[in-house]
Amino acid sequence: MNRTRSTIILSILMVSGFSFLFFASCRRKSADGMIIFTQVYGKEQDKNVAEETLEYTALTRIFSIDPDKSGDSPTILTEDFYSAKSPAVSFDGTQLIFTGQKKQGDTWQIYEMNPANSKINQITSAPENCIDPAWLPGERLIFSKIPLNDTLKSGHSIFSCNVNGSDVRQITFNPDVFSSSTTLKDGRILTISKQVYPEKRDPVYMALRPDGTKAELFYKSSEGNILSGHGWETSNGRIVFIESEKSNREKGNVISINYNRPLHTRVNLSSEIEGNFNSVFPLKSGRLLVSYRKSETDRYAIYGFDPEKRSVDNAIYSNKDFDILEVIAVEAHERPKKLPSEVDKGVKTGLILCQNINVSEAQSSVNTSALSKAYKIEVIGKDSTLGVVQVEQDGSFYLKVIADTPFRIQTVDENGKVLNGPSDWIWLRPNERRGCVGCHGDPEMVPGNNIPLSVKKAPVIIPVHKSNLKEKAIELE
Amino acid sequence: MLIIVVLGLIIYFPGRKLARAHVNSKTGVEDHPLMCTSCHIPLSKNKLIVKLINSDYYSPFNLAVSKDGGRLYVVAQEGNALLVVDPENHKVLNKIKVGKYPYGVVLDEAGKIAYVSNQWSDDVSVIDLVTEKVSDTLKTGNGPAGLSLSADGKYLYVVNSFSSDISVIDLKNREEHKRFSAGNNPTGAELSPDGKTLYVTSRRALIAPYGDTLKSELTVVDESTERVIARRNIESAYLIENVAFTPTGDLAIMTMIRPKNLIPSIQVEQGWMMTYGITIIEQKEKGRVIQLLLDEPNAYYSDPYDIVITPDGKKAFISHSGVNCISVVDIDSVRTLLKESSPEILNKWSNNLGISSRYVIKRIPTGANPKGLALSPDGKLLYVAEQLEDRIAVINTVSLETINTISLGGPRRITVARQGRRLFNNSGHTFQNQFDCYTCHPDMHEDGLVYNMASKDMGRNLTNTQSLRDIRDTPPYKWNGKNQTVYKQDGIRFSTVLTRSEQFSYEDLDALTAYILTGIHYPPNLMYNPTGELTGSQLRGKEIFERTKDNSGNVIPENNRCITCHTPPYYTNLKLASVGTLAATDDSIKFDTPHLNNIFASPPYLHDGRAATLEEIWTIYGKEDKHGLANDMNKNQLNDLVEYLKSLRAPEYENIPSKIKHTSL
Repeated sequence: MNRTRSTIILSILMVSGFSFLFFASCRRKSADGMIIFTQVYGKEQDKNVAEETLEYTALTRIFSIDPDKSGDSPTILTEDFYSAKSPAVSFDGTQLIFTGQKKQGDTWQIYEMNPANSKINQITSAPENCIDPAWLPGERLIFSKIPLNDTLKSGHSIFSCNVNGSDVRQITFNPDVFSSSTTLKDGRILTISKQVYPEKRDPVYMALRPDGTKAELFYKSSEGNILSGHGWETSNGRIVFIESEKSNREKGNVISINYNRPLHTRVNLSSEIEGNFNSVFPLKSGRLLVSYRKSETDRYAIYGFDPEKRSVDNAIYSNKDFDILEVIAVEAHERPKKLPSEVDKGVKTGLILCQNINVSEAQSSVNTSALSKAYKIEVIGKDSTLGVVQVEQDGSFYLKVIADTPFRIQTVDENGKVLNGPSDWIWLRPNERRGCVGCHGDPEMVPGNNIPLSVKKAPVIIPVHKSNLKEKAIELE
Repeated sequence: MLIIVVLGLIIYFPGRKLARAHVNSKTGVEDHPLMCTSCHIPLSKNKLIVKLINSDYYSPFNLAVSKDGGRLYVVAQEGNALLVVDPENHKVLNKIKVGKYPYGVVLDEAGKIAYVSNQWSDDVSVIDLVTEKVSDTLKTGNGPAGLSLSADGKYLYVVNSFSSDISVIDLKNREEHKRFSAGNNPTGAELSPDGKTLYVTSRRALIAPYGDTLKSELTVVDESTERVIARRNIESAYLIENVAFTPTGDLAIMTMIRPKNLIPSIQVEQGWMMTYGITIIEQKEKGRVIQLLLDEPNAYYSDPYDIVITPDGKKAFISHSGVNCISVVDIDSVRTLLKESSPEILNKWSNNLGISSRYVIKRIPTGANPKGLALSPDGKLLYVAEQLEDRIAVINTVSLETINTISLGGPRRITVARQGRRLFNNSGHTFQNQFDCYTCHPDMHEDGLVYNMASKDMGRNLTNTQSLRDIRDTPPYKWNGKNQTVYKQDGIRFSTVLTRSEQFSYEDLDALTAYILTGIHYPPNLMYNPTGELTGSQLRGKEIFERTKDNSGNVIPENNRCITCHTPPYYTNLKLASVGTLAATDDSIKFDTPHLNNIFASPPYLHDGRAATLEEIWTIYGKEDKHGLANDMNKNQLNDLVEYLKSLRAPEYENIPSKIKHTSL
């Protein structure tokens, strides 16, 4: 009997002990629902990384605030940093990554933080500035890296790495400046891309796979407006971002586009609102957080925004001396799809097929017979032409291009006159196989169902005019 | 205690190693979790376990509404029944047993009789709706599917999906009165509002050499003369499941898929694999055939199945069984678009993903796998047969909201195989929902198309889609036999080169495998072998199939006899072979010996679909006698051989247990 009783008591004690350990391990301060923001002293903004589209301000700080406790002072999360910016919350809402400078003059690096206890780990340790981090599914993240000896031809590429900073991979290879990346629910990266070489073009949103393949235009502003900042996907299938007016860069508006049809569904949610918007972030509830100021004499402060009513609510946090640059919320979000990769580093080339070079955006809505027909294409590299290629009777061409090499394409008529182009920069990842409907084709056009004549032959190897390089490409295969 | 721990460790580590080796060999992959229950229960052949783990679902497929709107008549495809449903009180009032695998239902004008086509028993059940009993059974052609009554109610048109023809049944004497040939695998039938013209749509494209423009036949029957008056080719489209007319009769609108099988399958982005939409035919002299997509640039609406149009002619509802939603089309907007657009512009719209914003006014979410649609007589309610939900959804056609769902009383639990079937039929695992397994394997079979899978270089390695019926005991898979198991077939490479989205979780992969290997069966071969008793020609063909000597009495080398490689009961020895069919555009490989059960239903033939008929395998593509010795045969012998091949059916109909040891999953 005593033995039985002892066993029961022992069992109870063990269960209680394990339960205590279990619940104690689960008892963790949660940052769920907190608002994270970046602020900078409003009168002394020193843009210490001022590139073509990137303006990284010194002495920025990341703070958190509980929106349910009005009157509370915000908590600084990056006290040990000279500057910190671009916070991004993990999909499960438990971790934060950001870019920061430990000391004045340091390069910007990527750090990870648990917002519940402010514990920080350094992720990147590159000699270059690493900025604008974003989470990828599968314990990876991306960031933009600005080369030390930056030239217009080098661009600012996107890199990916593991959360512990290992396995760093470059995924973009054109001389564009990439910034403000986020991850779409479909698994692709949405990023601002701005061409700076050989001529400057307005920034556009590009979508690409996390391995750098299938980069394509997602959205471009019209009427000369300029994209600025992250494009965030909302819970109801829209993307929200800030677009400023070309004539007045300070005049930022809150824009919403539909993921399903981004190029033709632009809605200016703040067209009737006086003042400027600096950043926007969607909450799971469907509402938005914005940094907004009513007039140029005010400071940017955090407000709620109702996208249905298209109105700004009361201020959540403001400081008469500081501007709020970015604002996000700590919330769990649907994890984006983890896309598989077709990249094979054992292959040194990529393939590109164009179904009909004579299908262009201009021609997609008019009678094509009225326009000149292209007979050749010229493939142009960063420094020189990579070759002129005859297109097939049906307008198709099929190229094998050395991977991770930027090129542009322009069309040429039978007299050698350039008809259209050059295109935006293109690159192919190792083993990438890519298709285009036409040259500068309407992004909403799908290919017709017919066999392109060009795939009945072997692909043309690019570059074609430099025999040593051509041989090199063949050898690489 | 220490001894127990040491013994445990000794058993655990070698045991784990053995388990790992076992799972790797059975799944063909090296990272499947060591879960005995992944395979040993859902794939068990033990009758008791099979009974315990599965459930009998109804799987509503099509439906009809009584004239007063007080009753729904729901075809329960897997319940082999017509369910009588009270939509107001959400009750199933009766389950009327019909033939095998019922497909469609129509009601007579008086609302007293229902006709139900039974696709797997080649007949139509005639149901007295007063007594709610089957009063008669009418013989039809093979695979009866779509049904339509003549305007005067005297004739029943039955679309025979397997024999690709249309039976006209005289309802007075209850006999087949006429039969017209139709397109390839026809299913949909609809009489024009004036009762003069019957449209019959086809699912499979007409057999043509790879590279030719895809064409699917729309068969037009003049009711008064009872003649086929037109065979219109709907170009670049297939799987045209159903058709509806506007009440004024100015437009006929049908669901369709515009596949991209002639383009190298190198990406999913920009509609590179599949697009979905409607074909519209203007009902006037020189009326145009227009195709408009229902997709959007970053969102595809896969597997459109049924279409209904409201009595006021304002809205069309289209079910998308691959993405669980209904598209609502504003027909006046379509009319405006047609009016303002030249033929050239309309031709461009057929490949434009943005144009749908002009006429699609809403997407209404539904339960799993919406199929047949029916409107209440006043057009205010839309009923949706949610096939894999065992449920009918009720949608208000004004507010465009789902206002109710009616459970059909099937099992509440979702079995592993049922979950696998849902995955099979859902595009959620493909980038931007562009396609699902069902899209290329309609009816879990194959779509009759050849694709350029472009495994390494574009333009190479054409691939004829293969059937998924009863493939459990016929590994390896794919024409090149590279996938030993379905686990491997649908694993990481599948997501990398085909769906190009996140790969299936192992839980989903287990479910999908369970469904593919246990839930897909052959229909009976009623067309060529209804009873198992072979005809004289088939018996002679069987002798040729099994022969060991040629016509001159010379012994045929064993490896050049039909029976050697095509061994019953699946008519495959599960090995790779070279039969002289390697093309210049193929990688240098041998081909998996295909199984031949119900081979009559799988044209075109050979790995790249080059043979339009079974006969062509030898008359055109077997001249070197590498695909079995055949050139000694005369025409009659070849005919006999082909007749025998067409008679081959699944082992389950032969009562022959599989003799092949189950070597893989």
